Amino acid sequence: MLGLAVLWLLSAPRPLSLADIPAHTPDLANGEKLYNASGCRSCHLPGPDLKDVNAELPAGGKPLKTPVGTFYPPNLTPDPETGLGNWTDLEFVNAVQRGISPEGAHYIPAFPFTSYAAMRTEDVLDIRAYLATLAPVSSPERAADVPLAFIVRRGIGLWKWIGLDTAKWQPDPAQSETWNRGSYLVNGPGHCAECHTPRNIAMARNNSQAFAGGPHPEGDGRVPSLRGLIERGRYKDAKDIASALQFGEMLGYDKVSSGGMGQVQKNISKLPEADILAIGEYLASLK
Amino acid sequence: MILGNAIWKIVAAGTLVLGIGAGAALAETAEEAIKARQACMKANGAMMGVMVPIIKGEKPYDKAAIDAAIAAEGTACAGWANWWGEDTKPGGAVETWAKEEIWTDKAGFEAAGMAYGKASEGVKASTDEASFKAAFPALGESCGGCHEKFRRPKG
Repeated sequence: MLGLAVLWLLSAPRPLSLADIPAHTPDLANGEKLYNASGCRSCHLPGPDLKDVNAELPAGGKPLKTPVGTFYPPNLTPDPETGLGNWTDLEFVNAVQRGISPEGAHYIPAFPFTSYAAMRTEDVLDIRAYLATLAPVSSPERAADVPLAFIVRRGIGLWKWIGLDTAKWQPDPAQSETWNRGSYLVNGPGHCAECHTPRNIAMARNNSQAFAGGPHPEGDGRVPSLRGLIERGRYKDAKDIASALQFGEMLGYDKVSSGGMGQVQKNISKLPEADILAIGEYLASLK
Repeated sequence: MILGNAIWKIVAAGTLVLGIGAGAALAETAEEAIKARQACMKANGAMMGVMVPIIKGEKPYDKAAIDAAIAAEGTACAGWANWWGEDTKPGGAVETWAKEEIWTDKAGFEAAGMAYGKASEGVKASTDEASFKAAFPALGESCGGCHEKFRRPKG
């Protein structure tokens, strides 16, 4: 009994409180930029029953297959009934940076809150403000097809003790400003490590092997290493990496289109060129 | 009874030998098909290697080189439609980065191929630097259109 009680307590959500939400005047342009850098759209696309909805809107519902079952990522448009319209800033930040729903349930880490946790909270609030400007779409949330979902979610609470690092991203003063910008975009919003860093036996990212590549999360093929991209002759230089991310196959970069990377590349291509170059500079430095 | 048993064994062994023979023949064909696909993609990459530096402005526009690259790719890829037998699926004896979806979504795979063909015609029809540069992005995108859905990620 005591053991169960301890498990129950350890697996409980540990949300942020109002004191963690800084006073902030939202910057919509920054919000849009980080919305694209974060790739929100790619998973929250409208589901097959939303045929008349603008396919660019993150109305949610498109099935997302994961090893534990199929999820239907929720509606990020500001619809008050079925979207984020009635969410508070605190609820939004808890969802994005702690993986906790407004009802206090754990989100499964296919939602990359484990990377978003490293973001500046102001940036998360800017994304929230940007999302509020989108056209509202009615798209009711659909429960995940996951056996024993309740137990799974509670189990994630335990997993978060090892799998969720709540430390914010820190700049490296020895590096250039643009390198640091790239590092922030890659490690925070870009959540590149979620696929490009292999996981350990506990399914937490193995940071000693950061960006060394690994099995594809959908189980088919392999995710390439991002280390030594120049040394291994994959790309000529930092600018070449940036071009690949900016133009993808439009310029014949054929390595950035498989396994979901095509979607990632399209999201990144929407960033200002300076940000894409910064990402290139940072990635080129990974040895 | 003993004789009967012996005959049965001979028949069984014979069938086995024939079976292996047939299997080997099939594997050879599948191997050839997969190798041909890969050679076609290599030629395709070589064609890109001619075109992309021109698009990026690293090399001057060269219509003869572009036409030659398109022709070489066309030769290497001529048998394309015949290289997708059931025995060339992933998981067979020869490693392939083709995805199952090629066989489960045949219409989608064909549409992606048609998009490439159309874009390729567009580039072929270009007559000067401006029309080439205008036609190229569609060609590149059509590569991505197929790779995204039908090619497994490679480490």
